[in-house]
Amino acid sequence: MAQSHDPEIRRITRRTAMTTIASIGAVSIAGCMGGGDEGGVSGTIEASGSNTVAPITQVAAEDFEAEYADVQVNVEPEGTGAGFQEFCQANSAFQSASREITDEEIDICGDHDVEYTHYTVGQDTLAVGVHEDNDWCEQITLDELNEIWEFESDVEQWSDVRDEWPDEDIALHARDSASGTFDYFTEHINGEMGNIRDDYSATSQTDEIWDAVEDNEYAMGWGGVGHLRSLQDQDGTLKTVEVESELDGEFYPPEEEYIEGGEYSPLARPLFFYFNHAELEENTDLIASFARFYINNQHEFATEVDFYRATDQDIVDNHDQLDSVLEDIGADPDDITVERQDP
Amino acid sequence: MSLGRGEELFADIDLRREKLHNRAFHAILVAASLFGLVMLVLLILDVLWESYQGLTVFQIDLVQFLTQPSSSRAERAGFGASILASIWLMVLTAILAFFLAVGCALYLVEYAPRNRMTRLIEANLANLAGVPSIVYGLLVLALIVNDAGLGSVILAGAIALALLIVPIIIVASIEAIRAVPSGVRDGSYAMGATKWQTIRRVVLPQAMPGILTGTILALARAIGETAPLIMVGTMLHATRYPDGPFASFSAMPTQIYNWTYQADRMFNGLAALGIVVLLIFLVVLYVIAGYLRKQYEAEGTLTNV
Repeated sequence: MAQSHDPEIRRITRRTAMTTIASIGAVSIAGCMGGGDEGGVSGTIEASGSNTVAPITQVAAEDFEAEYADVQVNVEPEGTGAGFQEFCQANSAFQSASREITDEEIDICGDHDVEYTHYTVGQDTLAVGVHEDNDWCEQITLDELNEIWEFESDVEQWSDVRDEWPDEDIALHARDSASGTFDYFTEHINGEMGNIRDDYSATSQTDEIWDAVEDNEYAMGWGGVGHLRSLQDQDGTLKTVEVESELDGEFYPPEEEYIEGGEYSPLARPLFFYFNHAELEENTDLIASFARFYINNQHEFATEVDFYRATDQDIVDNHDQLDSVLEDIGADPDDITVERQDP
Repeated sequence: MSLGRGEELFADIDLRREKLHNRAFHAILVAASLFGLVMLVLLILDVLWESYQGLTVFQIDLVQFLTQPSSSRAERAGFGASILASIWLMVLTAILAFFLAVGCALYLVEYAPRNRMTRLIEANLANLAGVPSIVYGLLVLALIVNDAGLGSVILAGAIALALLIVPIIIVASIEAIRAVPSGVRDGSYAMGATKWQTIRRVVLPQAMPGILTGTILALARAIGETAPLIMVGTMLHATRYPDGPFASFSAMPTQIYNWTYQADRMFNGLAALGIVVLLIFLVVLYVIAGYLRKQYEAEGTLTNV
């Protein structure tokens, strides 16, 4: 139950025609499909950022719009990097990101006085995939992965990795350097961002990686596990390789219990959204309501579009952070239309 | 030259081999011309097959597909908002590009002095028509979307597309206007008409079918353009019907593009159906252009003088 009050509006901009919240009543936001209550939240939110995270933000946006008829959330993904360029020049209020902000981007944000916080909303998982008929590569260590993929790698055939593996050429497929996925894999497997061999087949589409691996018994690829699973559901001839965990040295498949339990590491990566504090000051109720709505339901949103949930602790941390930002700008966290729901 | 030496001259020619070469060359040329056609047929078959799968395996409802906006849930996604966005784009693009292009063509043909400056402009127009479309997108992103603060709206997309097709329409218009014989113009002047009266009453009516054909073909190119719109910025899913030139949008090609890389395979079926709709739009535009050209050829006998 939430008591609704007028939000603190410092300025009225063209984006916001904030109406007063007239109804002081119960606002039910139970679950992600609550009844369309005539809450007083209104306005337009521009959301830039990652192609990977955009589907989660999009689900959140659609459900938020369904709940509050006067709200528009425009999810316009251009990639994490290009999105930060927008975000750091204050062209977007929200930013989805498949990695954390880099130092260069922090500088740009600094130049434009953009202050922000980031929130963990889910996990993406990179799977190492091979053809179904590949009966030798069941498990792989992190060192072997690095050996195969590192810059100027000598590995040409499977037998170059382990002697008992076949004397056949490995066909390597993975994402190109424009993606946050690439940044993540190369940083965590090859030790440094971009430190990868330059003779693999690079593509901008995860589907193409798995399509290629499906067609070749001697292929290996890495990419988002969501795409791989949906291909498998369609009788695809793919299977995942168990990867060594950096926690305990055991081997784990990219499956829900090990991803959410944290054992499937380092190839599970957190996904974030950022928002601009200046926008929060300007449209406090709108931005904070959307952020809360997103955080409240982030587990459902993430799993609905084939990602994995972050931890319950992440939700609590997200809420704590949001509340403290609200207090910093002089707003009362209890005045926000959408109420905080801890797991 | 004796007869004997003549026979010697032809002795090393193997007639059968020459004929074989002749036929082989012919076959290669036929194969070359068929290649494009075969590829087109393969492409269309592939799209139709994917669409069929979308309709059967994923049970896509055609009415819903054509009337509903898109959604991140494939079962609820439709193409309606993207179709409307594309129509908005086409109308705005046509308005922006047409008058600019026809004005430029009229100036170059009727008014511009024959000097180096004019030749430079004409040469540049030909070059502009070859500029990759993404460059126009980048230009609009920097100048209109960001600097002018218009945002990623339909009007910005239309400006990018208009920039893209203006040179194409100019070139087509110049040809159509040049095709109006100068005798007709002279006749008009002899009757005491001014230059503007001549252009408006004599030249333009004669040239209009050619200009319109060029405009429609250029619009057909614009409607399928993806790169400049991606640069301008489009929504991941067109979840709302655009309500005017200042609405956020995702046009048909960008919505198809966004659907193709979603993990849920049902989006592939949606994308294939989207391509079919886009192809239907293109075919309709080509038919209109072809019809106009035919009219032009039937009525425009004067211009063939």
